Amino acid sequence: MDSMILTLLIFLPVFGAVAMLPAAKIVGKDNPNIFKWIALVITGLQLLLAVVLYMGFDSTLSVSTSPYTVQLDWIKHFNIQYFVGVDGLSMPMVLLTALLSFLSIGISWNITKQPLGYFALFLLLDAGMMGVFLSLDFFLFYVFWEVMLLPMYFLIGMWGGPQRHYAAIKFFLFTLFGSVLMLLGMLALYFYSDPHTFNLITLIQTASSIDATLWGMDMRYLIWFALFIGFAIKVPVFPFHTWLPLAHVEAPTAISVILAGVLLKMGTYGLLRISYPLLPGEVINFAYILAFLGVINILWGAVNAIAQIDMKKMIAYSSVSHMGYVLLGMAAVVSTNDGGAQAGLNGAVMQMFNHGTITAMLFMLVGVIYEKAHHRYIFYPDDYKDPALAGKPGFGGIGAQMPVFTAFVAFAFFAGLGLPALSGFISEALCFIGGFSVFRTLTIIGTLGILLNAVYFLRAYQHVFLGPLNEKYKDYTDMSTMDLAIVVPLAVIVLFLGVYPAPLVDMIAPSLDALIQIIQSAF
Amino acid sequence: MYLNYSPIIIYTILAIIMVVVPLFIQSLISPKHNKGGSKLTSYECGEVPEGSAWVKFNVRFYVIALIFIIFDVEVVFMFPWAVVFQELGLLAFVEMLIFLLILLVGFAYVWVKGDLGWVKMKMKYAHGRYSKLSIKEEV
Amino acid sequence: MSNFSSIAYYIPELILVILILSVIVIDLIPSLQDLKFPVAFIGLGLLALALNLSHGVKASIFMDLIVVDPFSHFFKWIFVLATASILLVSRYSVEVEEENHVEYISLMLMILLGLFLMASSTNLLMIYLAIELVSIPSYILAGMKKNDRASNEASLKYVIFGSFASGLMLFGLSWLYGISGSTNILDIHAALLTNGNQFLVYMSLMMIMVGFGYKISMAPFHYWTPDVYEGSPTPVTAFFSIGPKAAGFAILIRVLYTIFTNDGSLNATSPLYDVNWTLIFAVLAAITMTIGNFLALHQENVKRLLAFSSISHVGFMLIAFTVIGTEALTALLFYLVIYFFMTLSAFIIAIFIKNKLDTDTIDGWKGLAIRNPLISAFMVISLVSLAGLPPTAGFVGKFYLLAVLFRAKTFYWLAVVAILNSIVSLYYYFKIIKSMYFLNEEEEVSSEPLEVNPYVKWTAILFSAQTLLFYFYWTPLIEFINRSLSFWNS
Repeated sequence: MDSMILTLLIFLPVFGAVAMLPAAKIVGKDNPNIFKWIALVITGLQLLLAVVLYMGFDSTLSVSTSPYTVQLDWIKHFNIQYFVGVDGLSMPMVLLTALLSFLSIGISWNITKQPLGYFALFLLLDAGMMGVFLSLDFFLFYVFWEVMLLPMYFLIGMWGGPQRHYAAIKFFLFTLFGSVLMLLGMLALYFYSDPHTFNLITLIQTASSIDATLWGMDMRYLIWFALFIGFAIKVPVFPFHTWLPLAHVEAPTAISVILAGVLLKMGTYGLLRISYPLLPGEVINFAYILAFLGVINILWGAVNAIAQIDMKKMIAYSSVSHMGYVLLGMAAVVSTNDGGAQAGLNGAVMQMFNHGTITAMLFMLVGVIYEKAHHRYIFYPDDYKDPALAGKPGFGGIGAQMPVFTAFVAFAFFAGLGLPALSGFISEALCFIGGFSVFRTLTIIGTLGILLNAVYFLRAYQHVFLGPLNEKYKDYTDMSTMDLAIVVPLAVIVLFLGVYPAPLVDMIAPSLDALIQIIQSAF
Repeated sequence: MYLNYSPIIIYTILAIIMVVVPLFIQSLISPKHNKGGSKLTSYECGEVPEGSAWVKFNVRFYVIALIFIIFDVEVVFMFPWAVVFQELGLLAFVEMLIFLLILLVGFAYVWVKGDLGWVKMKMKYAHGRYSKLSIKEEV
Repeated sequence: MSNFSSIAYYIPELILVILILSVIVIDLIPSLQDLKFPVAFIGLGLLALALNLSHGVKASIFMDLIVVDPFSHFFKWIFVLATASILLVSRYSVEVEEENHVEYISLMLMILLGLFLMASSTNLLMIYLAIELVSIPSYILAGMKKNDRASNEASLKYVIFGSFASGLMLFGLSWLYGISGSTNILDIHAALLTNGNQFLVYMSLMMIMVGFGYKISMAPFHYWTPDVYEGSPTPVTAFFSIGPKAAGFAILIRVLYTIFTNDGSLNATSPLYDVNWTLIFAVLAAITMTIGNFLALHQENVKRLLAFSSISHVGFMLIAFTVIGTEALTALLFYLVIYFFMTLSAFIIAIFIKNKLDTDTIDGWKGLAIRNPLISAFMVISLVSLAGLPPTAGFVGKFYLLAVLFRAKTFYWLAVVAILNSIVSLYYYFKIIKSMYFLNEEEEVSSEPLEVNPYVKWTAILFSAQTLLFYFYWTPLIEFINRSLSFWNS
């Protein structure tokens, strides 16, 4: 049974998507109920499996000794294996993916346009995400990485906002550019390692002995560079971030949640899973640049968020900023101060998980208000189609009208700006502690980001929820039970991990220590 | 060994000379005046030409010409065969039979499709691919 | 082998000749006229059976003019499958008129015979004859729509380009004969080993490449492709994009590997092996795929777009010629099989659209996802495969071709060009998907369902499903290809 869990986690959604086809024959394609129930049951089972996995998960075991690891031959000709396993790095991501997928089905409960396509594609996306986090064979990893693109393209392009077609193809082209470079890096890793293999565990030993030059540059450097671009586009690292605001804004709410909550983490996960252990020497050479890009991300994302008048776009830019913390924490792995490296890397992985929950909450809450008002403007744009409204505040005084909703938004905003006792604070603080032990000046500049975060969150809060009530919204009702059922679990997790982060730390620390060991021994 | 190819080069050069030199000579000695008028008309045995020389021929000429060429070439193939027929005997006979059979299929094809019928404008007799041109019975 | 005893190895071709004749004869007998297509399919079935029985045979027949070997056998399977599926679909195509059916079938089968010969010729004269046997019926098929000016133009362009290319190729072949004194490519190889003059070899290679490059529509001999593909009836276009191309690759592989390598390797020392044709092919591959992709970007006509996309795929396949070895050929043949399935399924769906909506333009496909979700879904699979993304076999094919470069550790720049091109290609393939699936709010399209003929539907589905199948498990195909990579030599 143990060995089946990971496979089930990946392929249960595929089974669900396929099962929708006979279901559509029976009840007709336009009746959404059957599809959303199938999707809910499947993602619910997946969440249950993830929890079962977590219960039985022993963080001290490596993937080669873990009972969950499955290793089967797939294509002998290229020595490609179906190799899946779970360790401290992937465990939080698996939990996050399962949780957010389950909640996202709840968020999309009101989808009526072509429900069969929507939920089937969503489940395929889910399978792809799970596969990325569980695969330990580079080829398999790459395959799942690309499998996600197609459902995402359709989900943004068919169910998104006004500019959805452009957003969808831009997202696709950007990510594909990254992944084809990754493909080249992967092929180079395969053919320069001896024996030729895609096995990410074996490659840890063999990849560092690659000794070749190409176009006057070290081969390992080129591989690192190709992989880095591939992952950086997904994170997204400045200057590859331009697809993100567009895609996040145009995507339907549930997909924004998945995009920000899970997809962005894949970039940093890929770096930690592949680039870090395989090419530790390059990590050391590149750490300063990584930290530099991280700080730029923090500041650039925050400054842009301040300038936004659309709440969703503001949150999208806040994601760019928050992923900057992850990068800074990751770069701190080169710290010679032992605690520094640990704090940085632990902070980075925790931030990946925490940002996933917080940003999901933010997008979900913006979705609630959008459902009611059909716009998300803090201020209407100056060229708004109704000249009477142009430049005017979009909302105002909602706080009195919808107290529960306002409370949750305040909670999410404070979590986002890193208020102590909420989960974001701990991970951000750890990232800065790690960063400070190596890159002092940079980290000090980076801390400005916290201040800027507060600026845009509080500004949005003030203009939307405080002040006199806008007459247009005086008959709005508060959050529905469904909305509460989605947001409460996330809020509980954020609060719990803010007060007591030990479960998360225990889960990830042993694997990260091993990773630090690999990097430190490359000095 | 490439010297063996020198005749080809010489031949090529000679060919070019034989073309260029007469052209050059005629441009030297040809009269420079009196180039227009009846000099430009087409020659029809001294008669005054009537109409354009670019007349449209009926496509049936081409069809017949093509069919003629095919069967003409068929006969050309039969001459060398006839020369060695005595030596090869029955095998050669069967082979030529197969060859003729294939061409016969082609012959039957053009026949049934109506390509051998010359007078197609009388639509009463139209058949094969020209059956669309036929006058309806009730007319 | 003498002519008479060769016949035993020549049964598939003989069946084909008899089939061509019987189709013509059947049409002449009024009471049997409806049996044309059934007879053609039965004949092709017999042909497939004969092919299956001759599996693994290696022989040189008709006094070394042509050979029977697993390599040609592999290609013959592709040709037979392509012809059979195209004939099946053409029966229901509005572009092939009922009264032209017999000409259509017999010309198609004649091309098939030519393709068979192309894949198995080892003699320069036979190569030329085989190419002409493919070309001349192709010219007629391109002009099959007699009252359509685009079709007439396609036919004429094809003739002019084709005869020009053949002429140059014939000139190149005569150079090769001149420097070696033989028309048999094995003898040419032996002759060139001892007294190869590099300049002459380069020159003849260049001119032969004109002919072969024209057949596979390699840049810079690709100019005919878009116009001919656009003007020809869609089933004929589909056939052109598979049959002659695969045969062109077969002949290219056979000629290059026989003349310029020592049984697939360069282990002997001879001035012949200094002829750096792999570099030429690297440059040509880069040019071909770039031209194909960039010109496809702004096409509004689906057939024209697929024509340019086929050029870019040829560029991809040419990557295999930059490295000499079995692995490269495996990758090429694998890609060819996948290309066969994905291109045919895309074209069959295009034929279906043309039948139902009488349109070639991308805009004409608007809202297809609502009108026929099944066909649209499989079109997406084909297009994703053409773009080379997982989870389709198109990705595996690209992976193999790139792996060829990485295994040999050469031409990395070509790998970079190739992957950048695959991003460009994504954009135009997804233009079709966008048209099928994405509608603007204000757009009104008919949502009336489109019925599909079951034969057309299942052919399209079967072919696009292959790209999924070979993605999840392609080991048997690779094994089959590896068994097929055995030439007749000695």
